[in-house]
Amino acid sequence: MQFPGQGKPPVGILFDSDMGSSIDGALALALLYGFDGKNEARVISVSVSRANLSSAAFCEAVGRFYAGAVNGGFGGVGRTLPVGLADYGKEREETPMLSVPLAKMTPDGKPLYAHGIHKLNDTAEVPALIRNAFTSQYDQNSIAILAGPATNYAKALDVAGFKELAARKCRFLAMTGGAFPDGRPEYNIQTDIPAARKLFAEWPTPIVVSGSEIGEALAFPAASIERDFAWSPAHPVVDAYKAYRPMPYDAPSGDMSAVLYAVHSQEGYFKLSEPGTITVLDDGRTKFTPSAQGKHRYLILDPAQKDRIIKIYTEIASAKPVPRVPRFRLKELKEKEEKEKLLKEKEIPVPPSEVKPPAAP
Amino acid sequence: MITGKALARRTFLRGIGTTIALPFLDAMTPAMAATTAKAPVRMGFVYVPNGMDVRNWNLDYEGKLGELSRIMKPLEPFKDDILVLGNLTHNNGRALLDGPGDHGRCCGAYLTGMQPRKTMVDIKAGISCDQIVANHIGNKTRFPSLELGLEDARQAGDCDSGYSCAYTNNLAWRSETQPLPPVLDPRALFERLFGNGVALSPEARALQSKYRRSILDFVTGDTKKLETNLGPTDKRKLEEYLSSVREIERQLEKAEKDNAQIDPKMPKPYGVPADFAEHFKLMTDMLTIALQADLTRVFTFLVTREGTSRAYRELGIPDGHHPLTHHQNKPELMEKVSQINTYHVKQFAGWIEKLKSIQEGDGSLFDNSMIVYGAGLTDGNKHNHEDLPTVLVGHGGNNFIKTGRRIVYRKETPMSNLFLSMMDRMDVHSENFGDSTGRLDGLDLS
Repeated sequence: MQFPGQGKPPVGILFDSDMGSSIDGALALALLYGFDGKNEARVISVSVSRANLSSAAFCEAVGRFYAGAVNGGFGGVGRTLPVGLADYGKEREETPMLSVPLAKMTPDGKPLYAHGIHKLNDTAEVPALIRNAFTSQYDQNSIAILAGPATNYAKALDVAGFKELAARKCRFLAMTGGAFPDGRPEYNIQTDIPAARKLFAEWPTPIVVSGSEIGEALAFPAASIERDFAWSPAHPVVDAYKAYRPMPYDAPSGDMSAVLYAVHSQEGYFKLSEPGTITVLDDGRTKFTPSAQGKHRYLILDPAQKDRIIKIYTEIASAKPVPRVPRFRLKELKEKEEKEKLLKEKEIPVPPSEVKPPAAP
Repeated sequence: MITGKALARRTFLRGIGTTIALPFLDAMTPAMAATTAKAPVRMGFVYVPNGMDVRNWNLDYEGKLGELSRIMKPLEPFKDDILVLGNLTHNNGRALLDGPGDHGRCCGAYLTGMQPRKTMVDIKAGISCDQIVANHIGNKTRFPSLELGLEDARQAGDCDSGYSCAYTNNLAWRSETQPLPPVLDPRALFERLFGNGVALSPEARALQSKYRRSILDFVTGDTKKLETNLGPTDKRKLEEYLSSVREIERQLEKAEKDNAQIDPKMPKPYGVPADFAEHFKLMTDMLTIALQADLTRVFTFLVTREGTSRAYRELGIPDGHHPLTHHQNKPELMEKVSQINTYHVKQFAGWIEKLKSIQEGDGSLFDNSMIVYGAGLTDGNKHNHEDLPTVLVGHGGNNFIKTGRRIVYRKETPMSNLFLSMMDRMDVHSENFGDSTGRLDGLDLS
């Protein structure tokens, strides 16, 4: 939630992924919460296009790990952001990168990584969630990230008034998908071709795409998992990483590149292509057609920036959770108290307690 | 005028200054069409302010209704006839960059589904769903809609952190800039329903009452003529109906007499009973008549205004309702909030009983209605707008709504989706309403 009179808050980020399909989604979420903790971005919406409760549960567990129970968002101070989950399409299978961390228990038999998602109605309806997240933001102070198939954002485009709202509130969409400039088939696009086509055709803001060549060239080092996250005896992303494949392995980081570009688009981590238009062919290949009026661009890796990028990936994704200093309505409440002489401290939510990492199992 | 064997639906008993519409009678159904005749579907909204003590409102289960929560307990006899809905959200009640003022916003957004403009002057919300329906079907009834309330409804000034009182004191909005203030005075409502539309001053009313006869006396001639065309069942129905009208008159006269004794100069409307429960009953009794006689099919009822500080001394609660809801989780204050919430539901349950007692075709007036009982805030202490307390009662005609259940929708599901589905049931079809994202699944048997 953003309140006037306090200056613009950091850019609000909507994060939609197919959490569970590959480990870079989890790394990207960790990176995003790292930026959130540094007050360089604010997570305002998390949604999942992979139709499996564990995908949403893992996202919520990671959110609670980083932000405790004080993530305000539009859900209100003191409420955890609801996680949106696609309830369309076939249900997806369980995967170890989700099931292993979610199954971990504390010595007294409680889930090591707490979450509140056990049935479908513990999750949010995605189009409403995404639309509502935009409504709570200042104009041009939010960015949408897509780290998976375009299913959810395509659904949101069908909501009355969504396109106009997104055009007003959103700077751009940063997404992973396709391959550039060669256009070879890529998983995110292939998984839902109609949604990808709709997104490229109808999304009302500029779109910046990180092709698969970016993620493949920027492998997240396994050594960082062992070294940089060691401050925590238990970390959901580390457990997911270790469960995804036998260690040690370096992981492609395409989704992280979308997060990094979204939060720090002006800092030269990546070069941008000329503007153009991306179309999706029947077999899932992408075709980029340069055009001065085009709204689409793709990221280009500058080899000189590679070490710098890996450094920020590892530093921010492994950062300790930072207790959020609430930006809520203290000033306004005081005015109201003086006026009504009724409220005093009654509407001021309890300041967030320090977020502590879960105890070791 | 009463003519012919098949009685016209729009038959009235007329007398000097009096027009009494009739309830749905068997004689209004041609014999050959008896099996296909359908009573109209009614749609209404009963709104209670300041959220709920959610500890004592929420149910911890889904599916078939079992034991109800403490606040819902008065609805226990009717639990087969209600739907308890969970997770419905009014995003436009949230701050959305507008800062404090949840009471003003939530009420302005409740039936409009729109974000009210934060202002005390150039108010703007949206056309409310009841008025969308009234615009489509209102020509079929004497009143396109009725707007009722029980508390002061001033329309100007600041009622919540810069939000005009027009937001906190109205539910129905004819246009995005024109709210429809509720009628608070039972006498005014009575005269609107049965009179010639001329409002009397309190002094004139007092003078009139000295010599007044029942309005039924003025329509004796028409009543007798009508009765000759009715069978025994219809005669009984008519007798019960007219007795209800007479009972309302008596209640009004009592209230006026009591008010005169308490303080002849009291500022509140002349016919408003001092007792909250009596006021509630009197207004809903008249609303029942209006629905029964098909004077309207659409209504809103703002039980008390959003943010009200009304005290409930009849419950031994001298504290204002709104201040109590800022309870800081103090048990003694939360207990009082629960008592007020329960008291409201109890009055509502009393009205449901009345609606169920009125036969209409093969069912009851209740069966042919769908009424939302709800609040625009969830928890008055937190001022939140998700999982709003919502009960849908009635069957919406022809057993359309499958009741007796608790349905928990997905988080962020717009309340507007419910209203869009209700509009469908009233045969008013729109692609969207307010901030809807679609229709609400699971309400009906289909």
